[in-house]
Amino acid sequence: MKKIIAATTAAMLMGIGAATAGDANKIVVDGSTTVGPIAKAFAEYYMGKHPDVNITVSESGSGNGAKSLINAACDVATMSRPMKNSEKDAAKSAGVLPIEHIVAMDGIAMVVHESNPLQGLTIEQIRDVYTGKITNWKELGGPDRPIVAISRDTNSGTYETFETMVMKNAKIAGKTEYVGSNGAIRQRVLSTEGAIGYVGLAFREGVKALKVNGIEATPETVVAKTYPIARPLYMYTNGRPKQDTPLYDFITLSDSPEGKKIIEDTGFVPVK
Amino acid sequence: MNLKTRKILDRAFAGSGVFSILLMTAALVVILVPMLIRGWGAIYFTATVEHRHLMLERFDRGNPERVADELNSTRETRAPLYRMITEFEKQLETSDSESRKRYTTPLRELKKAIHDLLGPAPGAIRPMLMRDQYGQMRWGRALVKLRNVLYREEWDYSDPTRGGIKALKPRAAEFTGTPVEPLCAYLENNLTDMMLPRRTLYWQFLTDNSYDSHFFGGIWPEILGTFYLAVGAMLFAIPLGLIAAIYLTEYARETRLIGMLRTCISTLAGVPSIVFGLFGLAFFINTLKVSSSKSVLAGSLTLALMILPTLIRASEEAIRAVPHTYKEAALSLGAGRWHTVMSVILPAALPGILTGIVISMGRAAGETAPIIFTAAVSVGKPLALWQVFSQPTPALSWNIYNLATEHEAVDEIRHVQYGMVLVLVSLVLILNLAAIILRARVSKRLKG
Amino acid sequence: MQTSVEIAGGKVQSPSLLLSNRARLRQRIAAVLGNGFLLAVTSFSMLAVLFIFIFIARDALPFFQHNGLREFFTSTHWYPSAGEPEFGALAMFFGSAIVTFGAILVAVPLGIAAAVCLSDVIPFALRQFVKPIIEMLAAIPSVAYGFFALVVFAPLLQQQGGHLLAVAVWIIGLPSAVLVIIVLSDVAGDRLSDRFQSWARWGIIIILGSGALFGLMVIGKSLSALRIASGTNAFNVSIILGIMALPTIVSVSEDALQSVGRELREGSYALGATRAETIVKIVLPAARSGILAAVILGVMRAIGETMVVWMASGNASQIPQPWYNMLDPVRTLTATIAGDMGEADQVTGSSRYHVLFAMAFCLLVFSFVCNLVSERFIRRSRQKAGG
Repeated sequence: MKKIIAATTAAMLMGIGAATAGDANKIVVDGSTTVGPIAKAFAEYYMGKHPDVNITVSESGSGNGAKSLINAACDVATMSRPMKNSEKDAAKSAGVLPIEHIVAMDGIAMVVHESNPLQGLTIEQIRDVYTGKITNWKELGGPDRPIVAISRDTNSGTYETFETMVMKNAKIAGKTEYVGSNGAIRQRVLSTEGAIGYVGLAFREGVKALKVNGIEATPETVVAKTYPIARPLYMYTNGRPKQDTPLYDFITLSDSPEGKKIIEDTGFVPVK
Repeated sequence: MNLKTRKILDRAFAGSGVFSILLMTAALVVILVPMLIRGWGAIYFTATVEHRHLMLERFDRGNPERVADELNSTRETRAPLYRMITEFEKQLETSDSESRKRYTTPLRELKKAIHDLLGPAPGAIRPMLMRDQYGQMRWGRALVKLRNVLYREEWDYSDPTRGGIKALKPRAAEFTGTPVEPLCAYLENNLTDMMLPRRTLYWQFLTDNSYDSHFFGGIWPEILGTFYLAVGAMLFAIPLGLIAAIYLTEYARETRLIGMLRTCISTLAGVPSIVFGLFGLAFFINTLKVSSSKSVLAGSLTLALMILPTLIRASEEAIRAVPHTYKEAALSLGAGRWHTVMSVILPAALPGILTGIVISMGRAAGETAPIIFTAAVSVGKPLALWQVFSQPTPALSWNIYNLATEHEAVDEIRHVQYGMVLVLVSLVLILNLAAIILRARVSKRLKG
Repeated sequence: MQTSVEIAGGKVQSPSLLLSNRARLRQRIAAVLGNGFLLAVTSFSMLAVLFIFIFIARDALPFFQHNGLREFFTSTHWYPSAGEPEFGALAMFFGSAIVTFGAILVAVPLGIAAAVCLSDVIPFALRQFVKPIIEMLAAIPSVAYGFFALVVFAPLLQQQGGHLLAVAVWIIGLPSAVLVIIVLSDVAGDRLSDRFQSWARWGIIIILGSGALFGLMVIGKSLSALRIASGTNAFNVSIILGIMALPTIVSVSEDALQSVGRELREGSYALGATRAETIVKIVLPAARSGILAAVILGVMRAIGETMVVWMASGNASQIPQPWYNMLDPVRTLTATIAGDMGEADQVTGSSRYHVLFAMAFCLLVFSFVCNLVSERFIRRSRQKAGG
């Protein structure tokens, strides 16, 4: 029964979908929530100039972006970490050739509630907080308040960057809270006095970004490569997009002056 | 126990029942009222001139001359502000490096705060992002931003054993003796003239596209997406559900097979919604490949599966509620079984079935978990009808989650979140209300 | 449609009551075909259930084959993305269990009390107003509940949580203390001779009363001083899930109570029992299986809910210390599936992808078993009512 219905729907699709198949006027963007603001602003800007193009942006996590690209479910995968070898292999066997575009640089800011008197932490201290070795701000010279450590969900590139650059493969303690996005971390830290979290640079407003190893998290320190937790942000496409297609224009937007301005305005650091 | 105590216990017992019903009502009120009130604020609010400016520029709405007049008058009242700043900047250029150093950061912060409130300064390059191109649209937000201009938030960390204490420091004090000093007072006194706040009914919130990831505009793509998903789900579920209900009530004998079928239907009703989502992904998208990626079609199919049991049960009940006499009369007149069903039983049961349909539709519109992996995206245009087969869509339920947790400026767009909740909740409640009214009518008719 | 035309057509053509052999055959075939078609369509839901089981199990199996059962069910170490990944889901099982337990703790007493009230206490006219309230509670989309839990309730708990708890303790504790004291004094009074009775009664009331007041004050005060570090926790979610499970529990147990016949109630009243005694001693036991079914359905509603727990449970994969500490964040199976699906790349067929299906499979099996049990209870309660 199901097969029959599936077959009829499929047939229907063929008919109706024929018009839309290989639709050059549709760009599906999927992936990292960190790159989300850039992708959304790009989409907005691009659709404003070309009203006939529909760009959809999902923010479901870097890994999901890679997966969608490999399944040909999206045209652009936004990722806050480079594609892993396993993913590249999977892409190859699926006949997809992921091409890397670096759109911007981003630092991961350690953020706390504004009432927190602490000014900075070292990478080692951050690691101890997240492994659960340090559980109270008192131990770091702060007020007597339990630490509420907040982490991104394991599906995010930010999480993996944090895991490799800060945790150095030490395991994050079980009592750490996990939330789905940068915005959610910011919001939780904003409303929770004892909280600490890590977010992309664009998400610092209203919360206090700590110095890491004595260096402030700002676009300037990220450009200067002095800030210790910084990473590039990527967009991946299947093969090099052909010139003069909307996809090409969209992907190369980050190289144009307008694109750089957008990146700056959304709080990230354009690539020189 | 004596009688008095027993009576007291009896009262207390009844009281606890009434208490729990009151508590339930209270829960409903506590949950609904803030959402409804604040959601209403997305549609009816005090809008500033910036809102009218945006409406004119992006939507061609409003009287152009009047808006131009308003913009001119506000430009005039705003001009002294910018004059003070330019004057001070000029003065700084010629002054010694120490005072330049001293004032650079405060001045930059002040300019940023003013930009947040009033939008770009006249003559400045137009910013790329739309959110930077306009001042505050809403008077409430404008007052928040005004405070940011007037005061700098400072945290006193002098006692490290306790948390910092927030202190507001007037910015004017930072600029004593400079041309900028009177700026704050001027701004505070003339803000109304600069923004021209007016109560506005922005009903187009429901029908406008969103701009700049929901900073501006309305929620039309989400409403339309929810509509497509719910209606699509009904299109698949209604025929299946109705036929199943007819079969189960009129044709099936209580055999083993039918018992199993019933168990399956109630099992389907108990499957957690997220499991439907996984199944939709694994089956409709990855196996059947109804679409190359997330699409409205895949989402509708998944939702249809989820509401199927509700629909079957409701229709079954409605059919069973049709008095036996109807059926017997029809059969005795020589009508066949199918004929009886189609021409006598279904029409009589129709209102009841409609009730079920309406309630399931509300459920399909409100569900989030099944569409996460099958249909929902956070930003997209409203779809044309033929696009539903291949393209994903934003939807109210998913975007409430998305905007409340994943958006980069959660606080700036609270009103949009509440607005979406208002629309979704009232949509579902209206559907349910319709069902309740329908049912009241039916029970009256069947009784009489 | 086909059949009806055939039948009607046959009728019109033959004015006599007896059909020709051919017409009868045609009618028979049409009936069988029609019947088969209807059955096929109806079996669609069976197919759907089967397919759901097959597809979820198909992707869950590789996980169990590859990683075995032991770690999954006994370890709390959840590091799916580490170099040497660990897939201990015990904390998630625990999280799902504790929020469900909390929800049931909220919903069952309230739900049954409300159901009793609806079926036996308030007049019919009033019931017409209460029912829509319950239906509205059931209709509100889960994401709206989640939004409320995250945006309104969690900050409230962080700021005023202690006071809120204290007020709740007073509201529940004071009336129950008064009742208990009255009953105790009554029972004690009965055992004494008439001379001391009223003395003893007042003595007991005063002593116990002041003791209870003192206790409540102490508890209330210590609760007021409590600071809740994180508002997104098991407690928050339990309350919201409890409210969400209420409508199911109320309506199913009300049905069960209604199906207990009038005769039982009237018999009890005739013997001089009060309404409370009748309900507690006669009606509730008679409706037991229906009410159990209601509780099970409530459990299913709570354990399968995704959005509320995803948004407001804190998602910390831990078993709180001590385990009954509801003010700690927890993580449930459903939220893990929703949150982790993004990274779990199915293309490479990693354990990380399959483990989520393993969780889904556990949920599926659990809801299946619950469903069977509740069906059985409902059937039994129907039989009882019928017999």
